[in-house]
Amino acid sequence: MSLLTVQDLRVSIGGNSILTDIDLSVDAGKVLGIVGESGSGKSMTAYSIMRLLPDGSEMNGKVILDGTELTALSEEQMCRVRGRQIGMVFQEPMTALNPLHTIGDQIAETVKMHTKTGRSEARRITLDTLRRVELPPEEFPPSRYPHELSGGQRQRVVIAMAIALRPQLLIADEPTTALDVTTQAQLLNLLKRLVDDDQMGLVLISHDLAVIASTADDIAVMRNGVVVESGSTDEVFNHMQHPYTRELMKASAHVPEKLAPTAEIASPLLIVKDLVRDYKVPRKGFFDKVSYFRAVDQVSFTIHRGENVGLVGESGCGKSTLTRAILGLEDIQGGSVSLDGEFVIAKDAMSLSSRRKMQVVFQDPYGSFNPRHTVGRLVAEPLHALAIQPDRAAREKAVNAVLARVGLQTADSKKYIHEFSGGQRQRIAIARALINRPSLIILDEAVSALDVSIRAQILDLLVELAASDDIAYLFISHDLSVVRSFTERVMVMKDGRIVEEGETEKVFRSPEHPYTKSLIAAAPKTPSVAY
Amino acid sequence: MIRYLARRLLSLALTLLVASVVIFLIIEVVPGDTASLMLGVNADEETRLALREELGLDVSKPVRYFNWVSGMLTGDFGISYTYRTPVSEMIADRMMVSFPLALYALALSTLIAFPAGIIAATKRGSFSDVSIMGVTQLGVAIPNFWFAMILVTIFAIKLRWFSAGGFPGWEVGFFAGLKSLTLPAFALALPQASILARVMRSSLLDTLGEDFIRTARAKGLSARQALWGHALRNALIPVLTIIGLQFSFLLAGAIIIENIFFLPGLGRMIFQAITQRDLIVVESVVMLLVFAVVAVTFLVDVAYAVVDPRLRRRV
Repeated sequence: MSLLTVQDLRVSIGGNSILTDIDLSVDAGKVLGIVGESGSGKSMTAYSIMRLLPDGSEMNGKVILDGTELTALSEEQMCRVRGRQIGMVFQEPMTALNPLHTIGDQIAETVKMHTKTGRSEARRITLDTLRRVELPPEEFPPSRYPHELSGGQRQRVVIAMAIALRPQLLIADEPTTALDVTTQAQLLNLLKRLVDDDQMGLVLISHDLAVIASTADDIAVMRNGVVVESGSTDEVFNHMQHPYTRELMKASAHVPEKLAPTAEIASPLLIVKDLVRDYKVPRKGFFDKVSYFRAVDQVSFTIHRGENVGLVGESGCGKSTLTRAILGLEDIQGGSVSLDGEFVIAKDAMSLSSRRKMQVVFQDPYGSFNPRHTVGRLVAEPLHALAIQPDRAAREKAVNAVLARVGLQTADSKKYIHEFSGGQRQRIAIARALINRPSLIILDEAVSALDVSIRAQILDLLVELAASDDIAYLFISHDLSVVRSFTERVMVMKDGRIVEEGETEKVFRSPEHPYTKSLIAAAPKTPSVAY
Repeated sequence: MIRYLARRLLSLALTLLVASVVIFLIIEVVPGDTASLMLGVNADEETRLALREELGLDVSKPVRYFNWVSGMLTGDFGISYTYRTPVSEMIADRMMVSFPLALYALALSTLIAFPAGIIAATKRGSFSDVSIMGVTQLGVAIPNFWFAMILVTIFAIKLRWFSAGGFPGWEVGFFAGLKSLTLPAFALALPQASILARVMRSSLLDTLGEDFIRTARAKGLSARQALWGHALRNALIPVLTIIGLQFSFLLAGAIIIENIFFLPGLGRMIFQAITQRDLIVVESVVMLLVFAVVAVTFLVDVAYAVVDPRLRRRV
């Protein structure tokens, strides 16, 4: 008999159906991967199992854990199941811990909540659990506070809280999405080890097919609150039945059709030479000397006209600082940046005509726009960089033209940003970048927050625009597979330096620097299958 | 932690220094000569100069500033121009009323606001939430002098539970003193409690929506345990800021309430001193209030550090 069985689960919130007829089962010692795009109901399924649905939701169907029907338990009984028989791990490790309590107290809380152990026994279990999640108490004493740990370490603490009492089932909702690839690989290994050690069942939820494929024994593919396909991992990947699964698979491995590179050697567009960016480190004492942190260390590279260059590296490596320095948004402490022959200088010293040649699209399609301006106004904003200000009619014409190019309607310019989906917002961001006919667009994690199918569309759009307008891209991402399929040349950054650079395919096939090797080894791979 | 406190103390001292200079200069630019004002228009020049000497007004400004500050540091605030008594004694007398009144009002406001805010937040959208929000809306809107008069009408005139005003002094007995401060304290506390309850509610609602509350629930805590164990302390941080601001306001801002209840407090004293051009009193009381505000801010900073471990490390 299965450890966890979900039968005919239906959930609605305020009359809107969220989940329909979900059937799932997990065996002890096995991993069930639930995969789907945003809004597919993955997380809601997890919350239904935990019976932690938002207020106003209605739940029908059965959830049976080890012979006990959870759906029939009272809230009080359910509190005894949570944390004791089912543990749960969440997506955002930065906010999942209470900032005011030590990690030791937070782990011990799970123990004290469910058992009548004394203080010393709870402490022993806490230390033991820290060891199990590979945070040796000698290095990470339980007296630490969450803000003293990195994202990966915090996620280990969250896992420790969930497994302290060796629950039968662990639910992990996008546990590695917010983390770097190497950290992700370590955490997935940890989860697999815990499953093996304790014969625990694991429900692993992710939007990332590759993560699921490399970890799960069984897979359920969800879409719009329905499980469209399920079965063992091999079975699902080898005989995809449902068209949506195939579509998902195709989109996640999507390679935009690149045009054959032109034979002639293009002229250099952006030249970065020995760039140095230091940050002041806050003084410890009142009379201490000011010290500096070198975020970008002697970085040099060139991007040619119409070229598509990738920049990869983990969080904190200096990618974003480098972007800001290239854009002239911050003072630099050494070296130079020149665009099309003109030096980029921070503040207003740089000519507007030169500034308009360089645009940027950021990661967050929700936070990058002023919510109180119409799309037309947002998109027209860069026009002030033009030497001759267009009149109202010309402005409107330009906005409409550029909206059409990114696949939006003229009527959309009158709407506000909240009326659009994430993918559409990213199209608007691209329209804003395009309106001044730039020669270089910096894409700072521009597709990272998008679902795979939307991501594929946006990548196609970018390639198409590059070909027609001769635009060069600096494509910054932590997602190696996208960088591989999208860029022609790639640079790998670590600790403020570029450690490896070369043709993308070559670097991925035969990386030379040990760091590049470890990055590529850590990246989860989607099994190659025939579509 | 010690470094954090040392830095807060340093900034406290600097603030006081700057404040003393500013207060001194402002009082200095007020036109009119204190001595001629005290003596009237017909006084002869010799008497005027003698009085100026007596008051210590004949020396240069920097010297006077120095005398004033060094005097204050040793507890000598000078002699009141109008009453001819030491300002320090006058302040000490008044503080015995104003300080307890402010504390009393703050205690009431906190005692009312915390439960009200917590209930409103945990039962969001319920009847109790809606009524608490309605009452606090009213509490913010009603002027406290009007509320004070209503209190007097009901509890002093109709029910005769409290006296309508005056302060018998603490010599009569602690509870008698406290009793006479009760109505003014309620009048002062009403708007404060209303604001505080609303802040408490919204801060708690924000905190209850945080991810770590979800984590706590997943560990098996009931909604109630998650509230007391995790949400409350986190929600307290913005509330502390408001409490700090309110205390300084209560200490200095009770002028109208003190007048309505005939309480011999600091607010009344500074009001009278200004009308009588008793500048030395004004200077000293204002400085004292600045000190109180800065000291409360310091205490709030300390409270932050106690509540929030992230601040202890921040330098």
